[in-house]
Amino acid sequence: MAAALDSPRQGTAPRFAPLLGRFALAGVAAGAASGAWALLVTERAIAPALALEESRAGGHEHGEELVGRGTQLVGGFLGTVVAAVVFSVVVAAVYAGVRHRLPGRTDVGRVAVLTAVGFGVFALLPALKMPANPPAVGDPDTVGTRTAIYVAVLGAGVVTALLVSALVGTLRARGLHPSAVATAAVLLAVALVAATVLLVPDNPDTIAADVPAAVVWDFRLASLGQLAVMWTTLGLTAGYLVDRLARRS
Amino acid sequence: MTSAQQTTRTAVPRMAVPAYAWALALLALFALYLVAQDNGAVLASAGDFAHEFFHDARHSLGMPCH
Ligand SMILES: [Zn+2]
Repeated sequence: MAAALDSPRQGTAPRFAPLLGRFALAGVAAGAASGAWALLVTERAIAPALALEESRAGGHEHGEELVGRGTQLVGGFLGTVVAAVVFSVVVAAVYAGVRHRLPGRTDVGRVAVLTAVGFGVFALLPALKMPANPPAVGDPDTVGTRTAIYVAVLGAGVVTALLVSALVGTLRARGLHPSAVATAAVLLAVALVAATVLLVPDNPDTIAADVPAAVVWDFRLASLGQLAVMWTTLGLTAGYLVDRLARRS
Repeated sequence: MTSAQQTTRTAVPRMAVPAYAWALALLALFALYLVAQDNGAVLASAGDFAHEFFHDARHSLGMPCH
């Protein structure tokens, strides 16, 4: 028994239902952690943007709005939790499908690899091509175009991940040296990210002159930090829980 | 080294992925769409509330908004 705990057992694969449970639990943890970041850090970066909007509207009253600020803070937290749980469910399905192909000797390592890819596709690539903007920056008339660009960037990120993993699989099957495989993978990833940045249209909005650069910059860092906390917590917690599950099965 | 790595890799058995796994993933993404984007297109009048309620989450997660 002790020997089985020391070295990873590869004998039987875990079943999907308990795996999903572990990922969902990790998703709740990731939502709580990034939701706390949202309240403590990101909201502090949103506040000056909202104050700016208010001053533009000429001291317009809060009470007239459909949802008050307090309720929006709750929604900011809960929306973050929902996003984290959604990502955890999607990652669970993908993980079940590719677990046997992922690099890493234990589930801790394999989950870390997959969630790192998730962070790259859903956080880093959008941050590179169309960084997050606080309120007071976006033009309501371009929200359809911006949504299309956002979805196109996410799609390009997913395609990049698929092509790079296909290349790695092919080269490894041909018995290439791991360092050559890694080099080829990095080159392809860089080429595809560059193609995404160059070929997908830019955000049509220009940042109005009355929005200080610091307001935008602080918000972008807070937003990226929030997503980093989400994916890191998801990766570490799910890795730990799934690893324990796999050793039991 | 290389062959040892490959032995451990090929030793990892393939998991059985039931169809409901993918259905659930799609359903989850649709729920996220409601949180993130819906401007009353699917939720009608409740969409206005959801839109305002989740407003800050949309911005902080880097999704396009106003
Ligand atoms: Zn907004």
